[in-house]
Amino acid sequence: MTRDVLILCAAGMLVSAYLMVGQKALFTAIRLYAVQSLLLGTVAITMAIADRRDELFVMAALTITLKSALIPWFLMRVIDRIGIHREIEPFLNVPASLLVCLGLTAVGYRVSTGFPEGTQGVTHHLVGVALSMLLIGLFLMVTRKKAVTQILALLTVENAVFLVALGITSGMPLVVELGISFDVILAVLMLGILVHRIVDRFESMDVSRLSKLKG
Amino acid sequence: MGEALRAAVFAVLQAALLLAAAPLLHGVIKKMKAAFQTRQGPPLLQSYYDIAKLLRKEPIRSETTTWVYAAGPRVYFATAVAATTLVPVFVTAAPLEAVGGILLLVGTLALGRFALASAALDTGSPFGGMGSSREMTIAALAEPALMLGLFASALAAGSLNLGTLVRGLAEQGPSLHPSDLLGFASLFIILIAESGRVPVDNPATHLELTMIHEAMVLEYAGPDLALVEWASALKELLYLTLLADLFAPIGIATTLTPATALIAVTAWSMKVFLFAFGVTLVESTNAKLRLFRVPELVATSLGLGFLALAIRFL
Amino acid sequence: MLIALAIRLFTIVATVAVARRPAICRVVSMGGSILASAITGWLAVRVITSRAVIDGVLARHAASGIVFGYAVTPLSAWFLMVLALIAAPVAVYSIGYFAHAVPASRTATTGVGFNVLLGAVELVFVASDVVTFLFAWELMTLATAALVATDHEERSSRRAAYLYLVMSHVGTGCLVAGFLALASRAGSLSFSVLLTGDTVSGSLRHVLFVLFFVGFGVKAGLIPLHVWLPEAHPAAPSSVSALMSAVLITTGLYGLLRLCAFGLGVPSLDWGLAVMGVGALSAILGVLYALTENDVKRMLAYSTIEHAGIIVLGVGVAMMARASGRGDLAAVAMAASLYHVLNHAAFKGLLFLGAGGMAMGTGTRRIEEFGGLLRRLPWTGFFFLVGALAISGLPPLNGFASEWLLFQALLRGFASIPGLVRLNFPIGGALLALTSALAAACFVRAFGISFLALPRSRAAAEAPESPALMLVPQGYLAALCVGLGLFPGIVLQSLDRVLASLPGVQSPVALAPSSLAMASPRDVTDGVVPLGLAVAIGGGIIVGLLLAARRVSRRVPTWGCGGELTARTEYTATAFSKPLMMMFRAVYRPTREVEAMAEVSPYFPTEVRFRGRIEPTFERYIYTPLALAVLRVAVGLKVLQAGSLHAYLAYVLVLGVLLLIWLGGSI
Repeated sequence: MTRDVLILCAAGMLVSAYLMVGQKALFTAIRLYAVQSLLLGTVAITMAIADRRDELFVMAALTITLKSALIPWFLMRVIDRIGIHREIEPFLNVPASLLVCLGLTAVGYRVSTGFPEGTQGVTHHLVGVALSMLLIGLFLMVTRKKAVTQILALLTVENAVFLVALGITSGMPLVVELGISFDVILAVLMLGILVHRIVDRFESMDVSRLSKLKG
Repeated sequence: MGEALRAAVFAVLQAALLLAAAPLLHGVIKKMKAAFQTRQGPPLLQSYYDIAKLLRKEPIRSETTTWVYAAGPRVYFATAVAATTLVPVFVTAAPLEAVGGILLLVGTLALGRFALASAALDTGSPFGGMGSSREMTIAALAEPALMLGLFASALAAGSLNLGTLVRGLAEQGPSLHPSDLLGFASLFIILIAESGRVPVDNPATHLELTMIHEAMVLEYAGPDLALVEWASALKELLYLTLLADLFAPIGIATTLTPATALIAVTAWSMKVFLFAFGVTLVESTNAKLRLFRVPELVATSLGLGFLALAIRFL
Repeated sequence: MLIALAIRLFTIVATVAVARRPAICRVVSMGGSILASAITGWLAVRVITSRAVIDGVLARHAASGIVFGYAVTPLSAWFLMVLALIAAPVAVYSIGYFAHAVPASRTATTGVGFNVLLGAVELVFVASDVVTFLFAWELMTLATAALVATDHEERSSRRAAYLYLVMSHVGTGCLVAGFLALASRAGSLSFSVLLTGDTVSGSLRHVLFVLFFVGFGVKAGLIPLHVWLPEAHPAAPSSVSALMSAVLITTGLYGLLRLCAFGLGVPSLDWGLAVMGVGALSAILGVLYALTENDVKRMLAYSTIEHAGIIVLGVGVAMMARASGRGDLAAVAMAASLYHVLNHAAFKGLLFLGAGGMAMGTGTRRIEEFGGLLRRLPWTGFFFLVGALAISGLPPLNGFASEWLLFQALLRGFASIPGLVRLNFPIGGALLALTSALAAACFVRAFGISFLALPRSRAAAEAPESPALMLVPQGYLAALCVGLGLFPGIVLQSLDRVLASLPGVQSPVALAPSSLAMASPRDVTDGVVPLGLAVAIGGGIIVGLLLAARRVSRRVPTWGCGGELTARTEYTATAFSKPLMMMFRAVYRPTREVEAMAEVSPYFPTEVRFRGRIEPTFERYIYTPLALAVLRVAVGLKVLQAGSLHAYLAYVLVLGVLLLIWLGGSI
């Protein structure tokens, strides 16, 4: 039973990542992220119940409040303020992107075969999904131009890392998790500020216009 | 304590003797040079008269000078006197041989030279600077050759301590090993350089382009000059004695009796006279070298010293 | 040890706290430094006298069980003692010096930098594992760079700090590579395991030797890795320069000793030869370049290179002795080197402090603008004279003692090591003699031109003497020079314990406090009693004074050949070293340009311009091409920096995927 729930949630997370790749509407992308985080919280709770680890409850609560509720709300407010609702043409069109994502998933699963099995026997799947999500998140960052999408991709990567931790070691030490969560909050807050500046400067959220970072 | 006292008395005696004999060396050399030039030359004891006269005179110092200027001749003199206590002259022991050997001797004389060279710069006259600069240059070039030559002899006896060295050599007796001849030639050239004689320097000139040692002491007068002159003579005597000790250790007294003492004194005087004659010969038959040719001469000495070392041990 | 470090930390915090009040800030930072130095010095003396090793733990990594600790071995204790002996007077000097030379706003940073530097150096000497060592090494480098750049408005200071950083990091890179190779072979990070000498063998040993030699050679200022020294030492404030010359160089030497000489097993004869060669080369080139420098601090920097070379020459002899199995010879050579480390710290510190006083009084560092300073700065001049005598290796001061020991080592090396290779020893001896004679010439020049005769500039004519706070440390160091020279036996007795702790070195029997001699079971070396010489010279002075009884002297103007004698007719520093420059033309490759400007007719020039230059051989032929090559490669790689955020992210992604594919399969 635990096993099924875990695999289901992991699959759901991967699907949400794929959908994010195929999305053009920013609102939907944010909602997909919220769903992803919710599923992540569920995974944490399930593992907490199954392994009887209380700190995972705390982590689940943190994940659900912060990442499913608070951050998506904040991001939506940012978009509202700016008034940009759609992603512009990415570097790679959607079918091609999806193909690349399939390849990345294959890589992720291949790597996950090397990890030792955990308590529930789902490590292989969890790690595979997590690594795939990580690579997909990175890929999103490479191919998308809007700043908000970039931060969403970063948040996806962070979710993936958390999932890997859950899968291999049943969660990271509390201190580390707290640290990472605060990092994430800070990153999002900063994005909020920066996006306004970018839009002021370029009248668009197009990050590819930032080209001064060279020697 | 008794040892130290005996050593001290010995040191004082030896220093006094050499001090007394030093100006005579200059007189002898001048007389011999004059003979080469078919002149009469100054009287043998002229140097003594000069020194006495200078000692009586009023010291005159330049306005620009500081205590360094007054200290220069005194340190120069003191180091020369101290150096005499390190060298075995009449007996196969130096009075203060426990204090140091060859290296200390060279270092002490270098200390005197440093003092005099610094003092020369004190007058503010370009002559002083020039003399100081050239003297330090030639001294710097002569050091390695001096070291090699002395090392060659020291290694043969196995010690840098002059007393041990001379004792060992006296036991062996004189030898005509090619290494010894080469070493002698090397050190003879260095003697010329350090005493400021032709072909390195002309002690009788006061032309600015040709003087080295004289330029350093140009401004000294009265007692200061007396000290410098005396010390220079003493240094030269020391070098000659060193040559005699290292390469002709005949007649040195191993034990002190009136008979051996007499023999030792006579032998020493003859050796010094002989070497002085050699110096005069070199002076009279050579022209003074340009300053920038002196390194070549010193390099020859260095090569000879190195050969001496190599031949003896390889 | 931990107490000392804690005191330093506390001092740093306190310094920052009182940053607003420069006077208190200075006293706080330097006072704390002196206290910490005193504690480390006492600790060092305890280790040396008791022959026990004091060690402890700094930090422990629970998960892997790696311990970061310190261990005060006798060798470390020697260096610590040298550091403590020099750091204390320099700190006292700094209290006075920083008041004048460092703007009030920077007093706190300089004080903090000072303490960080000293703390890092102490840690370098006592580190007992790789991580602590490298951490302290890097901290030391950064602190020094910060201090060098104190006057960061000056372009030369910035350049000096930058050059120093780059070269130090090249050296540190070599060190890291070497340490990693060694550690991976031995499987541990602790020095007690790594440096026993039998962890590596074969060609890896030679590679490691080269790596460590280069890495430590940069810090020690050996040629050809020395180019940062003449830039960095003048740029830093004088007390910091004193510390750098006296102490920073010794960290490089310490590393050389621990790693190259004693840490990689019995050294091979080639290593010893190479080390001797580099040492001799550094010595002779250092002093040659020092002779032609007109900036007093640059001259002292080159002189430091010379003495580092002399010390390394001794180390080379020791290595060759060890390679031939002659422990007693190694003892003499090591004694010479370690003694010289102490001596060099004393007289170089003294000279730099004096130079600082001179620069502060006149506002310039150029010797050509000094002159007659002995009248204005009598004490600075006197102490500088003592330092000059010491550094020229003249008896009975300390420079002579350590050079005598080195000559002894060379002599014995020739006598005891068989084969053609032993010809290197007399050559080394000749070069050493040449070096010390040239050093004497250099310092006659420095002392004479700066302090004697007429002042060559207005600034020199009006220079004030340094305050007492700056003079007392110089006096202390001068007394140290004299004391170390007159009582070498005490030093040798302390060294005895240090030598006993070094592998392959046979500790000799030490003798009386005032005698300089080393006896071993095989033979007795000669002895020197500098005190005796001092007595003899004293006797000579008495005789001289008796003969030339003191009468009042008449003061007259110097004869100026019928013309007026002014500062312009004096001999200049450039002129003083001209004969040597001409004789060593091959080394200097001097060029000169003379330009006569004339308005009306070329026969009546209104102005003549002269420009003489010495060729900067190492900069021009080694470093500039190297730097240009590196820059060319960098420009070529610039293509990768497209400026686009997405490109950079794409690099990350591609690399990540590749790594995962490559590693993922093999887990």
